[in-house]
Amino acid sequence: MSYEIPMGPYHPGLEEPYKLNMICEGETITDAKLHIGFNFRGIEHLAETRNYIQVIALMERVCGICSFIHTLTLCQAMEKLTGLTPPPRAQYIRVVMGELERLHSHVLWAGIAAKLMGFKTMFMTCFEIREKVMDVLQAISGNRVNYAMNRIGGVNRNIEDPQSILAMVEALEKEMTRTIIPIFTTSKTATSRCAGIGVLTTEKARSLGVVGPVARASGIGQDIRKEAPYAAYAEMDFTVPVVPDGDVRARLLVRALEIMESCKILRQALAKLPPGEIAPPGDGSKFSFISGTATARVEAPRGEVMYSVSWKEGARMPSRVHVRTPTYVNMPAVRFMVQGARLADAPLIQAAVDPCYSCTDR
Amino acid sequence: MSTVETAPNLIAKDESAPYSEKIGVFWYTDSNLSVRDVARAMNAVGARFVTLTTYELPANAGFRLEYHWDLMGHLLGFTFPSTSNAIDSIYDLCEAADWIEREVHEEYRIDFTGREYEPLLLREGGVCGVNLQKEVVQ
Repeated sequence: MSYEIPMGPYHPGLEEPYKLNMICEGETITDAKLHIGFNFRGIEHLAETRNYIQVIALMERVCGICSFIHTLTLCQAMEKLTGLTPPPRAQYIRVVMGELERLHSHVLWAGIAAKLMGFKTMFMTCFEIREKVMDVLQAISGNRVNYAMNRIGGVNRNIEDPQSILAMVEALEKEMTRTIIPIFTTSKTATSRCAGIGVLTTEKARSLGVVGPVARASGIGQDIRKEAPYAAYAEMDFTVPVVPDGDVRARLLVRALEIMESCKILRQALAKLPPGEIAPPGDGSKFSFISGTATARVEAPRGEVMYSVSWKEGARMPSRVHVRTPTYVNMPAVRFMVQGARLADAPLIQAAVDPCYSCTDR
Repeated sequence: MSTVETAPNLIAKDESAPYSEKIGVFWYTDSNLSVRDVARAMNAVGARFVTLTTYELPANAGFRLEYHWDLMGHLLGFTFPSTSNAIDSIYDLCEAADWIEREVHEEYRIDFTGREYEPLLLREGGVCGVNLQKEVVQ
């Protein structure tokens, strides 16, 4: 006899509010349905009532972890409509902030995954390291979250002393190489808990259009930083980790390897930080937009973010802002990942997607 | 091969492909194809569905729907008008379009014909069309 088990919208096994209705035969999940929208905020609609300065602050609130990425994507779209190109130093600072945000997100996710595996000491270690990543972000921007770094045509704050930031990044890299990376790549505790569960095949991943680490852990080597480079990524030397297995362990491995690649990018960006201005001349309060729609795509920690921004010439407010977040395309895959899985694995499988409902319920 | 399938030629810098680049997106300029023809052709060339953006046109003139697909890092754009608040669903051809079709249906009251809906954002008693806008750029 099959029976339905609801998990969520508020449940200890979920990070954020959504609902997974699982159909079970005994302990085995045969199908699942997802429901979202419990915290839907209508931010796209609100954006039409904000001017070009205010809308940046608003879109920074789409996501608490990827706040920089959202303003970067929005600003890149608005730069296309204003004809502004950020100076080289600003492009490098954008890379530094983007990669620090990736470290922050991946380390936070590693902590939550460790907790769901029942590996509480690892959870504490990850959160301790996460604090240090936030210290670096604070040293650059003055804020631990919602950094207010991006503006149209550049960034708001300079990195005055790249060497001191580099030293902080190197200390962080050493600590992660000693703790998170070996545990997530070689520890039997972690790998035996994650191997072979929540499998998403390459074929299914392609069909669902999943992005980011979820796609790369299913054998799809897709990364906007390589395929359509933005900011200064074209000048960075890095590899895109791809693991073909498609299970939770593969997602763990991909993120662990991405932490190392982010450190590599950070070292290059800080070492090669070009001199010069960080924004166009002027006080940054007046911009002229052309009529039309511009899109921008950025590789967020969870995958591709895309903004479509529509403007009328002479207007101070956008006519339309559409946000396509990575969780929005990755979450439907959870239905297929849990099919055939044990009920007890469901929290870990859904967490392996690294879902963000702040983004999804934008 | 339909002309939409010349997208890889475009990426190989073949200027005869019927795409026009505008602000970073390669827009398909042949308006004879349906949204389902485009989905079939994009599947055939291995493109990835990115998203669908809906614009409400002024003076109750209906909607403009923009479909974006990614092909080898290039963003391809396809525009379709919807004057009757209905357009063919591509969900059976492209699973990735499921959630966004459901969301657009709930936000703009547009009917994606040929599919069944389950509520995505709306709860019991919720009304479709709550996020309708008044004016957008054409």
